[in-house]
Amino acid sequence: MDGFFKWSSKWWPGVIPLIVLWAFAAWTSTAPLEADLADRSAAALQGAVLDKTTIAVAGRDVTLGAEAFSEAARSAAVRAVDAVSGVRLVNDETRLVAEARPFVWSAERDVVRVTLAGSAPLPASKAKLTEAARGALGGVEVSDQMKLARGAPAHFDEAAVLLLGQIAKLKDGKFTISDSSVSLSGMARELGDREAIAAALKKLPEDFKIAANDLKAPPYVLQVNKDPVASTLTLSGNVPDESVHAAITAAAAGKFFSEKVVDNLKTSIGAPGGFAAAVVPALGALSRLSTGTLVVSDREVKLSGDALYDGAALQIRSGLGKDFPQNWQFKADVSVKPAVAPVDATVCQQLFSELLGKASIRFEAGKADLDPDSTGLLDRLVEIALRCPASDIEVVGHTDGDGDDESNHAMSEKRAQAVVDYLVNAGLPAARFTATGFGAAQPLVPSDSEQGKAQNRRIEFKVM
Amino acid sequence: MAYLVMFHWGWLLGALLLGFAMGWIAVVHRGPGVSRTQAGWLGLLAAALLAAALTHLVPGRPGYWVELALLMLGPYVAGCAIGSLLRAWVVRRSVATRTS
Repeated sequence: MDGFFKWSSKWWPGVIPLIVLWAFAAWTSTAPLEADLADRSAAALQGAVLDKTTIAVAGRDVTLGAEAFSEAARSAAVRAVDAVSGVRLVNDETRLVAEARPFVWSAERDVVRVTLAGSAPLPASKAKLTEAARGALGGVEVSDQMKLARGAPAHFDEAAVLLLGQIAKLKDGKFTISDSSVSLSGMARELGDREAIAAALKKLPEDFKIAANDLKAPPYVLQVNKDPVASTLTLSGNVPDESVHAAITAAAAGKFFSEKVVDNLKTSIGAPGGFAAAVVPALGALSRLSTGTLVVSDREVKLSGDALYDGAALQIRSGLGKDFPQNWQFKADVSVKPAVAPVDATVCQQLFSELLGKASIRFEAGKADLDPDSTGLLDRLVEIALRCPASDIEVVGHTDGDGDDESNHAMSEKRAQAVVDYLVNAGLPAARFTATGFGAAQPLVPSDSEQGKAQNRRIEFKVM
Repeated sequence: MAYLVMFHWGWLLGALLLGFAMGWIAVVHRGPGVSRTQAGWLGLLAAALLAAALTHLVPGRPGYWVELALLMLGPYVAGCAIGSLLRAWVVRRSVATRTS
């Protein structure tokens, strides 16, 4: 045993190369060891729900920084790294994610993008909400500015996903969840979308309530364009239901005798009250214009175009608003069409005959009152009469064969006079016109059918 | 510990071989050895380092280097012991052969 002690006293010279070996070992192994421990610590945290995780290794000591969403998750993360084989100790720099009071989240839509802002409870819900926004709006940029925070109400994800499902129905605006209150502002994309959003919100989780719904519907627009070149009347925009749709197209067909009606109307909810009652007289005003556009937007009616003569322009500007239901506004931007070159009596007669061949002046049934639907036609007759100022004109009334001769004669004369009155009211000299009635004495066709009777009930213009 | 041994087995084997060589030489070496007092101090130093390593007193990289030094010292000393015993046995055998 003594020998062993003697030998061991001489082992020390080997310590010098051992120190060199140790220095080499320390020099070459430190960085790979730290990298290996960092990798395995990160792997140990793979399933943990943490934010802003940082792992720094010095020697065998791991400094773990992270924000956790619960105390249990925080301590579990520290334990997981501590349990990694090779780790000597963990410097715990983890903390809990800040709590948001109140917990506010919002999704804001503008023309080009959707911005998700405020707080989200977990990284997974953040990703889920961003994905839901992308899914709801294919191709629209989604900007994620959400921060993570604790304190979300129960079923937050469910409520936020439901709101994002409705964001495509928003033109611009904002959905906000503040604790368990939901508020909405902005404008819906299409008519009916505001109502659709309100209906969808009924499926919000029970504990959520709607604090404010300030969504506005887009303007309820109907547009009518009269194009004399193409000879078309184009109706586009919205009507509240099929019966109003039918009423408007029927009014258009009655008031516009020479234009082809192109019907591009669609049925949408949200029309202002008295819609049909405002649109029908406005169509009458448009029928008096040579070319023009009628735009009905919510409760505002805008009419622009050219009237056929000064008197018509004046009547339209001053008269139309009176026909409208309450709270409706009327704006007329009506100018007068430049006067057309005068023509001689023969051409004038030809123009009258052509026009009255296309349409007849109509009267209230059994009366001598002019049907408002014929105003457009009468204005055109005024325009022709203005082109031959030197000629006198005889306005001749005819009836069908129903009823006795005396009353038919009186009626035909009264109706011819009503037309003359209209022409004089329009500013033409009364001296140029005479009203004559022939009753049923000069039928065009036999009055043995309804069609034949309708053809015989007529007003003729004779240029003298 | 097991992790460190696995990770550094090459260096530890080197320390073991170095110790074995030193132990082999030490049996026939005629130079001066360390005195008992010096040995005591060295032992104390090793014990202090061991204590520091076990209590995690030295942080970060220096802490790891202390552990590495102690880890390499172990195989070195073991190598020395094996080398010396083996050499002593060989020397005894050759002396016995010569005297017979």
